[in-house]
Amino acid sequence: MNKPLVLVVEDDRPVRNLIVTTLKANDYRYLTAENGHSAIIETTSHNPDIVLLDLGLPDIDGTQVIESIRSWSNMPIIVISARSEDKDKITALDAGADDYLTKPFSVEELLARLRVTQRRLLLLQASGDTDSPVFQNGELKIDYAAGCAYLNGEELHLTPIEYKLLCLLSHNVGKVLTHTYITQQIWGSSWENDIASLRVFMATLRKKLEPQKDSPQYIQTHIGVGYRMLRVD
Amino acid sequence: MTTQTEQSKKDADEHILVCLSSSPSNARIIHTAAKMAKVLHARFTAIYVQTDTVINDEDQSRLSQNIQLAQRLGAEIVMTHGEDVPLQISEYVKLSDVTKIVIGQSSARRRGLFGRPTLTEKLIASAPDVDIHIIPDALNYTKPHRRRLFLGAEIPSLRDIAITVLMLAVCTAIGFLFDHLSFPDTNIVMVYILGVLMISVLTKGYLCSMAGSLLSVVLFGFFLTKPRLSFQTYAVGYPVTFAVMLASSVLTGTLASKLKDHARLSARSAFRMQVLFDTDRLLQKAKSNDDVLSMTCMQLSRLLDRSIVAYTKGENGMLSGRLYAEKKDTHAEKLLSDAERQTAEWVLQNGRRAGATTAQFGKAECFYLAIRAGGRVYGVIGIPMKPEKPDSFENSIVLSVVNECALAMDNAHNAAEKERAADLAKSEQLRADLLRSISHDLRTPLCSVSGNADTLLHNGNRLDEATKQQIYKDIYDDSEWLIGVVENLLYVTRLNDGRLKLELTDQLVDEVVNEAVSHLKKKSVGHKVTVRCDDLILARMDAQLIVQVIVNLIDNALKYTEQGSEICVSAEKQGGNAVIRVTDNGNGIADDMKPHVFEMFYTGKNTVADSRRSFGIGLTLCKSIVELHGGTLTLTDNVPHGCIFTFTLPLSEVTLNE
Repeated sequence: MNKPLVLVVEDDRPVRNLIVTTLKANDYRYLTAENGHSAIIETTSHNPDIVLLDLGLPDIDGTQVIESIRSWSNMPIIVISARSEDKDKITALDAGADDYLTKPFSVEELLARLRVTQRRLLLLQASGDTDSPVFQNGELKIDYAAGCAYLNGEELHLTPIEYKLLCLLSHNVGKVLTHTYITQQIWGSSWENDIASLRVFMATLRKKLEPQKDSPQYIQTHIGVGYRMLRVD
Repeated sequence: MTTQTEQSKKDADEHILVCLSSSPSNARIIHTAAKMAKVLHARFTAIYVQTDTVINDEDQSRLSQNIQLAQRLGAEIVMTHGEDVPLQISEYVKLSDVTKIVIGQSSARRRGLFGRPTLTEKLIASAPDVDIHIIPDALNYTKPHRRRLFLGAEIPSLRDIAITVLMLAVCTAIGFLFDHLSFPDTNIVMVYILGVLMISVLTKGYLCSMAGSLLSVVLFGFFLTKPRLSFQTYAVGYPVTFAVMLASSVLTGTLASKLKDHARLSARSAFRMQVLFDTDRLLQKAKSNDDVLSMTCMQLSRLLDRSIVAYTKGENGMLSGRLYAEKKDTHAEKLLSDAERQTAEWVLQNGRRAGATTAQFGKAECFYLAIRAGGRVYGVIGIPMKPEKPDSFENSIVLSVVNECALAMDNAHNAAEKERAADLAKSEQLRADLLRSISHDLRTPLCSVSGNADTLLHNGNRLDEATKQQIYKDIYDDSEWLIGVVENLLYVTRLNDGRLKLELTDQLVDEVVNEAVSHLKKKSVGHKVTVRCDDLILARMDAQLIVQVIVNLIDNALKYTEQGSEICVSAEKQGGNAVIRVTDNGNGIADDMKPHVFEMFYTGKNTVADSRRSFGIGLTLCKSIVELHGGTLTLTDNVPHGCIFTFTLPLSEVTLNE
């Protein structure tokens, strides 16, 4: 299989070198861009499979780049940000980014994120045109038509909200969903109380879904940001 | 800030006060004072003491001309109210640190040998530290002295006349009785004197007691001396008796009414003291400027029995007015109209009184006073002048109360300023300490990283594979350690104005704990880290910061315990708190070190491995973060050995939206 084409948007040369070296060593094809404008031009002319985007760019805000790409393409975007910029991360995710990496990141972390995104890409291509009525992820199966979820072949007893949450996550498998996005989808509002409720429902859902608490298999928590359903092989 | 203090220091140096009057020579005095103020770069204030004496239109217009002149020459106009002019001036002098007073010669000269002490003399007596400059009055204008003949004389009321008549009738009746019993005349005279005394006690003013004295002599002469019913007397001594009787009754009458005046005055000053004392006590209890203002206004409203309007100064301009009334007032609405607001705004900007009964905005409903202290205006208080004006006594109390309010606000302002400065200094100190220690502590690993990289760059091909691997590992370890330090530093940079700004959200404790543990997965290879958290503990916290607290605590345990030790992170509910513990079974911490563990840059004596790996800000940071959340961080011993760091966070209540 052809390794995907990755566009690296990063203005800091050493970090860009680090990413490029890692990509090269793992047989990814890559392009680079140093600022927002050239990033937009590169995406339109080469149509990469994945974009690695640094949020702090010299010319325009990273979020603007995401918005510009999202106006015509659904290509996966992984945002790279410094730890102190939690808010920027959330704005970027809400603007349409799929995932994020926090600086300083390790090489393994970067590769893991790329693999997750690749799987998501495959899934998107596979189920691109037909909305499949059944979702299968590892041992988890959701029958959208029947409104039932199964784990290891056994039906899960979920409350309506838990089921709604599960469906929302499964539709966006591999993608980090922010608290705001989820509460908007489930309750239609995003008050503080909604977010607190979300945590409680998510905890009960995970209890039913994950037998081992400290190594979550299906749902990953991103403290202060949101949740993501992982693709399980 | 330094320029400001310099400025205020200069202000404190010289402050020139000129006394305004309606005299035509006053203009000259004002000019002179203004020149002095200019030369000395002094603060320049003009004071006018309003008294109850009536002034005619000509004087009034001259006075306002003089006021305008002083204003034009850059004086700050102060109006006070009171009968005792020197007292008012000297009080202002004490309050505002006046250093020089400029007055005209006419007020400095004693009138006649036995005249009352002059303004200057009184001023010198009451404010001895102040220079008094006397300017010769070229015009030598003497204001026609119109002291009213009977000070405080009032036309007696019907009741007073009735009392006088009745008392004299009774005295005459007793006189007849005594005469019938043939007591000596002296007893009758005594009865009359007693009667006059009673009259002066029971009636107001001088007139009744004076009339009583005269009438009693007339009645005594007419009815009780032989021959009866005539003013003629047979006895030789009677004219003397009359004279002595008249003199003593006039004297007793005068004394009695003076006594009454004194009683009235002291009652008033007691009342004034009481009001001021109450206000003072209330103001001391007040916590914010708003409290101070509302208490002042309620006090004034109670005192004057009317609604009080108050405006405070906000960040940008004036805030909307508020109405304080003890009783419901139907006319209150119009006191907050736009025109009234404009008047108040003018007062706020100029720091001077305006509104009803003054030259500025005379049509306003209220009389507006600025709450000012030390050249700073804190707000405006409006007092409705309808249905009737407060009398001079009430006026002076109002001024004192407003002054108290201004002082309270000024004190609060100064205290806040001081606190801010102290906070700033403290956080500056903290930052400086931190930077010093960081630059020292970062240098070592950075040196190793750059040195090692340099070796690889230039001599890489001459090194064998094992050495290279070791160098790679050193670079990696050092940079990992640097990342940890920088991580903590990030939170220290959030120390803003001496405090961290929290972004509080409701979080599940077990999620947060797991997140923190996963951060340290790589580091904790040699240790056994377990997590035991109760389900569904929801606590209010800044997630990022609490993750950092747990990371630091675990990291600490990893650093200070032997390989293979066990570290357990647990969480449970206890009362209204979530209790999170990080327990290890290492060697524990010696008792004499325990009190210092949370001190900044304290790294203990028996530092494990190399000393530079113990960066002393972690625990201090943890403690301040936990305390900011309203929790506590404590250190206890584990059994049989090791230590337990326990911290609490307040639980949050959540209503589930199904």
